[in-house]
Order: sequence, then structure tokens, then C-alpha cells
Amino acid sequence: MSATPPRKWKFSRRKLLIGLGVTGGALAVGLPLSLPFARLKIAGMLDSASAPAGTMPKDPFVWFEVTPQNRVRLYLPKAEMGQGVHTALAQIAAEELRPAWEQLEVLNASTARGFDMGTMSVGGSVVVSSLYNPLRAAGAALRLMLQEEGARQLGVAPEKLTVAGGVVAATADPSQALTFGQIVSAKQGAWVASKQEPQLREPAQFEFIGKPMPRVDFAAKITGAAQYGFDMRLPNMAYGAVARAPRMGAKLLSAAPGTARSQPGVVAVVATTEFAGVAAETRAQAIAALDALQLEWSEGDVVEQADMEALVTVQPGAGTVLQSAGSVAAPLAAANALRAEYRTPFAAHAQLEPQAALAHVLPDKVLVWCSTQSPGSLRADVAKAVGRKAAEVEVTATYLGGSFGRKLNVDVALDAARLSAAALRPVAVSYTRAEEFQHGFFRPPTQHVLQGALDGAGRIVAMSHAQASGNVFPALVGRLLGADFGAYRGGLLRYNIPNRQVTSQPVALPVPTGFWRGLGLLANVFAVESFMDELALSAGVDALQFRLQHLPQDKLGERFKAVLLAAAERAGWGTALPAGRARGLACSWDAGTVVAQVAEVSVQGARVQVQRFTSAVDCGVLVNPDIAAAQTEGAIMMGLSSTLLEEITFSGGQAQATNFDRYPLLRLADAPLVETVFLQGDDVPHGMGEPPLGPVAAAVANAVFALTGQRLRRLPLKLA
Amino acid sequence: MQLNINGEIFAVADGDGLRPLLWVLRDELGLTGTKYGCGAGICGSCTVHLDGVAARSCLTPLAQAAKAAIRTIEGLAQMQPDGSVRLHAVQQAFTEEQVPQCSWCMSGQMMTCAAFLEQNPAASEAQLLDAMQNNYCRCGCYARIRKGVLRAAQLAAQPAGTT
Repeated sequence: MSATPPRKWKFSRRKLLIGLGVTGGALAVGLPLSLPFARLKIAGMLDSASAPAGTMPKDPFVWFEVTPQNRVRLYLPKAEMGQGVHTALAQIAAEELRPAWEQLEVLNASTARGFDMGTMSVGGSVVVSSLYNPLRAAGAALRLMLQEEGARQLGVAPEKLTVAGGVVAATADPSQALTFGQIVSAKQGAWVASKQEPQLREPAQFEFIGKPMPRVDFAAKITGAAQYGFDMRLPNMAYGAVARAPRMGAKLLSAAPGTARSQPGVVAVVATTEFAGVAAETRAQAIAALDALQLEWSEGDVVEQADMEALVTVQPGAGTVLQSAGSVAAPLAAANALRAEYRTPFAAHAQLEPQAALAHVLPDKVLVWCSTQSPGSLRADVAKAVGRKAAEVEVTATYLGGSFGRKLNVDVALDAARLSAAALRPVAVSYTRAEEFQHGFFRPPTQHVLQGALDGAGRIVAMSHAQASGNVFPALVGRLLGADFGAYRGGLLRYNIPNRQVTSQPVALPVPTGFWRGLGLLANVFAVESFMDELALSAGVDALQFRLQHLPQDKLGERFKAVLLAAAERAGWGTALPAGRARGLACSWDAGTVVAQVAEVSVQGARVQVQRFTSAVDCGVLVNPDIAAAQTEGAIMMGLSSTLLEEITFSGGQAQATNFDRYPLLRLADAPLVETVFLQGDDVPHGMGEPPLGPVAAAVANAVFALTGQRLRRLPLKLA
Repeated sequence: MQLNINGEIFAVADGDGLRPLLWVLRDELGLTGTKYGCGAGICGSCTVHLDGVAARSCLTPLAQAAKAAIRTIEGLAQMQPDGSVRLHAVQQAFTEEQVPQCSWCMSGQMMTCAAFLEQNPAASEAQLLDAMQNNYCRCGCYARIRKGVLRAAQLAAQPAGTT
């Protein structure tokens, strides 16, 4: 069970390594990435024990490795946090390389392999779409090299060979064949890239892409062998605990070890005004010794719930204009114009594996294992925390026990590194559930003012969406287009409305807020698509027809139309339901993916029960339909949990929840029957991890209105 | 103190008999397949078997656990005489239905299901689903957990060697 430190990166003889460098890659944040071209870099067959200077690619993105034992290893710099990304990327890579599925191994890359900061991050549902073409090109280039070398070894012209299942064989005589491993074993001299332009397969020929290949990480996960950041162990390791502020914004004014050093099991104490913590032989001893530190905290911010809501309130005329067409002022001033306000609360990520890291600070290097979404930026942060060069720090992203944005920012690794530097031993630090709730960051609360005006024919002539949201790591990522990264997701008005305006007002809060699955997506679509139903009601038009009437006359409009009709048909929209049930509809666009959903609900007392939930999803090319279905199901459940249950509130400067007793999550009994239809309205893959979360709350709220007549404009939904 | 875990005897320091079994398994014995989620018996991630009954290891004192035969996720599959591993019906079913996502909760889900099926081989579908009510899955795999536990019940009902 103990983690052996990753071996120094070196190449054994007769092993073909190929790295794919991608230029133009940037921090993945849910915007279309531009990846102008993929550069192939070949480390080649190296005879020396370690890589000669100058041959290592500077910015490899993905490594392929073909070993003499006939294994094909794929080192992916993208963390597997449950979303199936390792399997999906392996399918894309395998499509052009053409190994046998069984000979593929997927491994997590570490920062020591040269992966650049930023490119390792996962988030914004863009991993698969951004890597789709580059990975295929790299796989094809590697296959051509193996094919040409196989041709030389077999004495057959390359064009008379067929590559399939990890075997290069003469097309006319399949008994003349070599496995990839055999070709690599027998290779003499240096590998060079083929001069041929690789031909990529047409979709009709796909062998792996589009197939429900089983997850590559489940064998380890099913048996309990998979290692997450919380599970990493090294010989002689100690456990760390960190002093936490008694309320938001409180800072250490003074810090001294007190009697902490003489407490049972304590091996190191760090007490500075920047950081105070203890490392001890056991987890319990470390936590107990915190009480012996002499700490003086500043007052901090006495955050109260009502103050937060007052802060996050749309101010007329303020904010950044994100979308504008025509002029909304005059039509929205009309007497019959509608206006409604919506609000969503702070929420926790509540991923079941709390923040966790193991660090070993050594004289010449710093090793870190962490459940992190962004090992590249973590490396720089660790280096800074312990005063070392980034090049000396190696971060390995382990499996993540859920993240949903929480593990984009993992201070726990800095805690572990600081304590390891003091203890001169490996130190593991992990959050308790109470620390997760009280000392992490939250999904920002939002408030929305929607206005709309109809003409005499029931068409929307003007609509506006003014949004206020707690800001998102302003110091970390800065702002884009005047709005926080992601806070506006799902907030634009994609309907064909002549006069429309969307504004966004980021608000600084005394509470740390940041990324959360889809970020503004759930909140914005809740407001916009609930309001669409309010307008449809005012126009006296069926909610489906009303949306169809307002779709733009373009490709996006066609994709929306297709998912709306498909979801409606599958859900039986417009057909009779048993008494006590009603349906609601909503749709959204995010990360290139178009989603329409229908919720079917019932009510028992004050409780909303979602009985059935139907989705139609157009995410373009489906790399793995089973993983896409799983992502959709998961997004729906997480969305329903937010819609019906979740809310973080503050009192006296602290979140009131310290565990799930005050922050319950959706349970199996609350889970509806789910049904998902996939449509392909585009020829590249689009996002899957977050987009299906978009319409969930709106679809349920619209169904609750249809059933009860109560228009609930606040999450979580609470019946009067 | 000696612990009987997955049919093997492990020695642990006597020390505090009230320390939770969860941390003894994870930190003292390196059996990290059993997961921490809440430490309060709410989420179910830490579920193990004590004499065949599902128990929350985060709330189980070591001294109490020492009196029972303990089974963890690492002991759910059976090693065969020929060295191959035979998955438990629940593990087989969860693989067939591709149930997990991040899988942090899945040890607890599978241990809960396995204990219930072994104790109640003739349980109804409703009883089986009810037994799974107190295990959180934040990735939202509930639709597949439903399928997985029902499939596990089918597999468990088949005579050995026919799967």
C-alpha cells in the first residue's frame, strides 16, 4: 500500500516514446480553446539510462510509450476525478494507433515529465474536445512509424501492411506479422517521424470512438486498490493538522508554539503569523496538539446571512454588458412588461474525498501527491510555500475522490509541504469534513432580475437579464470580458429576440467563493428558463411551442430545436399524466453542448419529489456513449441536490454547516428515473461534464409551477 | 491487540481502545480501501462488516471491532487457489453496470450491499434499495447504483460457478 516515489524519468533501451506537444493551450476555463496545431516530438529510442539534454520535449502534452513487453502506455496529464476522462482519451488515442484495447494502460502523468503549467488543468468541460484532433494525429503518427519500421523488419512494403489490434501484418499473408512490442524490441538505430501524412479514419471506420468501452480505472476502484490523495502513504510519514481561523477573514496577529512541542507524538511545530500547524505521529495527536499552540487572531469578518444577500443584489444600471442587441429600455418600460427576481444560495462542493495531500520535502527535491485538478499551478504554489524552485517540485495528481471545482485550488498540499519541511519527514494533511465546510470556498450566491415584454402576437420583443454574483477568485484568474470567469455561463439570451441585454455584476464578498461544477450555469439557466415559462404563460402559449417560436434561424437554433423535440417526445410532453404529477421543460447551451430536459414531479406535503427526468443532449461526437450517459445522470443528481436541498448559510462569521447533518445531499430515494437521448448535431465532441447540469433547476421549478401554481424563484425550492 | 481482518490476524498497538476502527485500518494498517467521508456516520463511505453486519467504521471503537471478524473492501473478492481473483457478486455487478464515477463512496456502497445480500438472500427489491438509503454518492451514480444492486442480487442468487 505504500507509495514508492516515482522513479526518475529515464528511458530504458528499446522503448519508443512519443510526446505530443500542443501550442496555444491555455488554462481550460470553459471557453473555446484554440489549438492551432499539434507538434510531434519524439524522444525516440534511447540507449542511455537517462534522456540526453536537448531531446526531451519542452512541452509534451501526452506521452505514448510502447514497450518491448507489448504494452502501450498512455501518460495523460489530465486528472481522473470520476468523469471518465482517462477512458475517453484512451479511446481517442487508440483510434489511430490501433492497439488492442487490452494492451493499453493509462497512467497519471506528473509534473516531472515536463508538463507545462496550465496544460494539466481539468475544468470547464473542455478536456475531451480540446484534445480530440491532436490526440488522433499523434496516434496516427506513431502508428505510421511502427508500420514503416515493421515493413523494414518484415521485408514487406509499408503500403502492403495492415495495422490492427496492436499487430502489423502483411495484408496478403497475415502470418507475416509483428506485434508493436516485437517491432520496438528489434528496432536498430534512431526513430524518426514518418514523412507520410497520416490518414485519419472516417467516423464510419471508428473502432473505439463512439463505442461504450469499459472504464479503464474500474478494476482498481472496485477492489479498493485505487489510490487517491487521501490514501498516499510513505514509510516514516507523519500526519499534519493546521490551525484554522475562528471566523472568515481572521488573520494570525501572533503565533507561538506554546506547549505544542511537548504534546504526545508531536514531531514538528510551525507557528508563524502566516501559518500555524503541527505534525505528529498520528492524526489524532496532531489535531489534539493544535490546542497547545499560542495563537492570537484578528477579529475577522462577522459575516451574517442577511448581509450577504444584501450585497449580492442587482444594482440598477450597474454591471458589465455581456450581450446587447437593439434597445431594451423603451419596450421594457411598457405597462404590460414582466419583471421577476431570482436568487440562488452559496453552495458547497461536498465532494466525498476531502482535500488531501502527502508531501515529502527533501534536500534536493520536493515530492507531492495530491488529489488535484491542477498539478501544474500547484507545483508553483508549493515551490513558493517552501522557498524552493518550481523545477525541484514534482506533483503527481492521484485519482480524485470527486472535485467539482473544489480541487482546482488545493492549499492542503502547501500545508503538507510546510509541515514536511519542518518535520524532515513525509507529512500527510487532509481536511476533516468540518474543515471542508468551514475553510474551503463556496459556489457564489447569485441574484437575477429578468424583464421581458411581449408584442400583441405573443412574441418577445425585448428581454433583459441583469445578474449579480459573488466573485470568483478575482486575484487568481482575473476577469474576462468584465465578468468573472464562468459566472455568466448559461446567462446569455440565445433566443431570437430583437432587443436583448445581459449584464453581470461581480460582487466582492467577505466569503471565499470560486469554481463549482458549471459555476453560474445552474443559477443562470434557473433564472432565464424559469422566466421563459413566465413569458410563455403570459403569452398563453405552451412552453415547448413558445421556445421553438423563439429559436434563432441558424445551426444553433436547429440543434436547440432537435433536443427540445427529442426530450419532449421521450418525456411524453403534452400527454396526460396521473393526478398529482406535472412536467416542466428547460434548455441550455454550455461548452458547445445543447441540452433540453423535462422533469416530472409530484408533491408530498412541502416536499417536491422528482419522479422522472428526461434529457436530450447534443454534445456532437460521442466519444463514449456510456460515459456520456453517466455524466448526464450524475449532473442531473447533483443539480437536483442543489435544486431541492443545498444551501450554505452564515452566522457570526462562519458557515453554519459543519457536516452533512446541516447540509444534506440527495439520496437514492430522492433520485428520479432518468432517461437520456443523445443527438449528434456537430462533428466534433463538445463538453459533457457540466452542460447537463444547466436546465435541471429550471425544469423542476417549471414543473412545480405547473403542478401547484407556485412560482418558486429561489433555490433551494421551498413550497409555501 | 489483535484484529481479525479479512481472515488474517493483524497486531495493532493497544493504546486507546476508543480510537475509531476507520483510522486504525487506514493509518495503522494501510488498508486504505475503506474511505473517510464525514466521520459522523452519515455518508456511509467507511462501511465495513463486523461479523457479517454492515457497520460505520468511523464510529466503531477499536475495542469493539476487536471482538468481531472484520471484513473490508480488500477482502470482498476471493483469491482462488490458482492465484486468480474472483470478484464478489456486488463487485461483478458494479463492473457490469459501470456504476462508479470517482468511486470514493463505492467501497461503502458495495460493502453495504454485500452485507445486506448475505444476511437477507431472499430480500425484495424494495428492501434491498431501502438498505442502500444511507450511503451518499456525490457524483450522483444513484441510477446505476440501483441497477448495480439489483444485478448483484441476481448474481448472488445463482449457484457458485455459474457466473
